[in-house]
Amino acid sequence: MITAGIDIGSLSTKCALMNENQEVIGYDVVLTGGSNTAATEEVYEKALNKAGLKRDGVGFVVTTGYGRENIPYADKHVSEITCHALGMHITNPGIRTILEIGGQDSKAIRINEDGHVDNFHMNDKCAAGCGRFLEVTAKAMGVELQQLGDISQQSENTVKISSTCTVFAETEIVSLVAVGTPIPDIVKGVHNSIAARATSLLRAVGLSGPLGMSGGVALNLGVVKAVEETLGTEVYIVENPQVRGAIGAASIGQRLT
Amino acid sequence: MQQETIGQERHIQYQNLLNLVGDQRQETEDNKPSLKATRMRSIINSHRMMEAYREGSRVAYVSEQFPSELAFAFDMIPWNLESMAIMLAQSVDVDKVFKLTQEHQLSRDICSFLRGPYGMMMENCYPTPDFVLTNTQPCEGLSKVGVLSGKGYKAPVLALHAPNTVDEDSVNYLVKQMEQMMSQMEEGLGIKLDPDAFQSVVESSNEAREYYNKTVQLLQTKRLPDVSRELQEIFGMNYFGVKENAKICKVLYEEALQMTEVETEKKKRVLWIGQVPEESHELLEHMRKVVDIVYWAPLWDANMMMLDEKEPLKSIAERAILYHWDAERTQVETSQICDDHEIEGFLIANVWGCRNVMGISQVLRDIANSKKIKHLTINIDLVDRNNYAFNHVKNRVDAFLELLQ
Repeated sequence: MITAGIDIGSLSTKCALMNENQEVIGYDVVLTGGSNTAATEEVYEKALNKAGLKRDGVGFVVTTGYGRENIPYADKHVSEITCHALGMHITNPGIRTILEIGGQDSKAIRINEDGHVDNFHMNDKCAAGCGRFLEVTAKAMGVELQQLGDISQQSENTVKISSTCTVFAETEIVSLVAVGTPIPDIVKGVHNSIAARATSLLRAVGLSGPLGMSGGVALNLGVVKAVEETLGTEVYIVENPQVRGAIGAASIGQRLT
Repeated sequence: MQQETIGQERHIQYQNLLNLVGDQRQETEDNKPSLKATRMRSIINSHRMMEAYREGSRVAYVSEQFPSELAFAFDMIPWNLESMAIMLAQSVDVDKVFKLTQEHQLSRDICSFLRGPYGMMMENCYPTPDFVLTNTQPCEGLSKVGVLSGKGYKAPVLALHAPNTVDEDSVNYLVKQMEQMMSQMEEGLGIKLDPDAFQSVVESSNEAREYYNKTVQLLQTKRLPDVSRELQEIFGMNYFGVKENAKICKVLYEEALQMTEVETEKKKRVLWIGQVPEESHELLEHMRKVVDIVYWAPLWDANMMMLDEKEPLKSIAERAILYHWDAERTQVETSQICDDHEIEGFLIANVWGCRNVMGISQVLRDIANSKKIKHLTINIDLVDRNNYAFNHVKNRVDAFLELLQ
C-alpha cells in the first residue's frame, strides 16, 4: 500500500509518498503561506504528480506538524518529534540523537535502537536559533537565505551576536552592517549563536551516540559546521532533511497498515 | 421569631442543602454528573465566600498551606490569597486586572498566581480582612503579597517563619511563634481563645484527614475518575478544621470506595507536578483522553499528617516545616509517590515566574530519570493568557503522550 506523510509546518509544508518497501517514491515542498490547508493540497498534488499517482492510489495518510489536525482526510495525526525520529532511523539506524531545526522551533530528540523516542527537548517560546531567525537575519544583511552557508565559509573573524531574541538580534545585525562589519563575519556569528542554543538543547536531552541533523536548517552547511565545531563531533546530515518529518510520517503509515 | 432561632434553623437548613445536593441522579450515557463531594464543595465554597463579605464576619487572609486550624479556632474565615487566581483565570475581565497591575508597575515576571490576586485587591474585589496570616513556605512571594495587602487594608500582618528542617528546636521555635500569633489575634479580636473550640477544630481536622488518607490509599492502585482532582481541590481549599470539610472527605471516600467495584480502563498514569489549571482547562481535557492524571501536591507527606490531639501546636509546626520544598525530602517523598501510585510519566508545569517550581524541577527530573519515568516540562501560564497558547504547548504534550504509549 502507498502511504502519504504530510508535514504542515510554520514556514513550509512537505509531502512524501512511500511504498511498502519503505522507499520514497515522490515528495515536494511548498511554502505554507497564509493557509495551511491550501498549502497541503498543493504539496500533496505535486508529490502525487511526481510519483505518477492519483489520490485514490494512496491508502493511508499521516499528518504531522503544527497544522496536522486541520486536514480532514488524514487517517492519523502524529507529532513531528515522533515522525522525525522514525524518519531519521529508517535512513540511518545507528543515529541515537537528532537535532531538528525547523522554521519556528528546534528539537533535540534521543531515540532508541528501534527509532522510538526516549526523550526530547524543545526550545521554548522563542524563534531564536530557528529557521525564522535565519530568515530575519538574512534579510537584515541583504543576502539570500540559501546563500548563508557559503557566505559564512568566507569569514575570517567571528562576530559575537549577543542577543538571544530574534528581534533584538536583528537590531544588533543592522548596527553591525552599518559600521561596515564584513557580512561573512556576521553570518558566522549568527551560525555560532544557533549552534550554542542547539548545544544547550542537546545537552539537556542527553547527547548519546551518533548525532544526526534534520529539518530545513540542516541544508545550511554553515550551521552544521558551527554545531560540529561547538560539540567537537561529526554531524550526520540525513538526505532530504527538510522532508524528513513527512518521510517519517509516511513510514508510520506503513507500520500501521 | 428570635434571631437566634432563625440562625439555628438556617444552620440546619444549610446542612440539609449539602446533603440534598450531594445525592443526584444516576449517570447516563449522555450525562456524567460530577462527584458528590465536588457538588458539596461548590456549595460550601459559595457559602464561605458569601460569609466572608457579610458584616460581622471575621476574615483572615491566609497564604497557601497556612495552618487554617489557627484561623478556625477563632471562628475566622480563611481567605486563601492565591487560590482566587484560578477563579480569575475564568473571568472575561482577566486582562483588565493584569493591566491594572502593570499600571502600578508590578513586574510581569512575577507569577500570575500572585499578580492576579494582587490585581483583584486593587480592583477592590476581596473582602477587607481583619488579619493577614502568612508564612514563608513554600512561596515567599506570596508572603510578600500578604504584607502588601496588610498595608493596603490596614490590617495587622502576622507572619510565621518556618525553618527548613524538622527537629525539636525548629518545632519549638515555630510553636512559640504560633503561640505569639494566637495571643496577638486574641488582642486584635478582643476575645480569648476557647480551648474547647480549638480542640474541636483539631479533631475535625483529623477526622477529615483520616478519610482523605483512606481515599489516597484507594487511589494508589485503582483508577478512580475525578477523585485525584477532588483531592487536589480539597488540598487547595485547605479547610481542615471545619466539620463541612470532614463531611466532604468522608463522602469522597465513600464514593471512591463504591467506584473501586467498577472496572475502569487502566490508562497510563501521569503525575501532574506544579500549579494546576482549572478543571475544564483544555490541556487537562486533552490529556485525560489518553492518560490518567494524578496530582502531586495532595500526596505530599505533610498533607497526610494527622495532628497530635494532645499537643496540636507541635504537630501543626512539624507539618508546616514539612511543607517546605526541601530537595532531599522532595526526592524521597516523590519517589515513594511514584512507587505507590504506579506513575509512568511526569508532567512538570512551570508556571511563568514561579521560582519554586523552576528551582525544584531539576530534582524532579532527576527522580524521573533514575526511575526511568518519562517526563515533560512545559512552560505555561494558567491565569495570564498573554503568556500562554494551547497550540504551542499541545505539540510537546502530544509528543510526550506518544512517548508514553
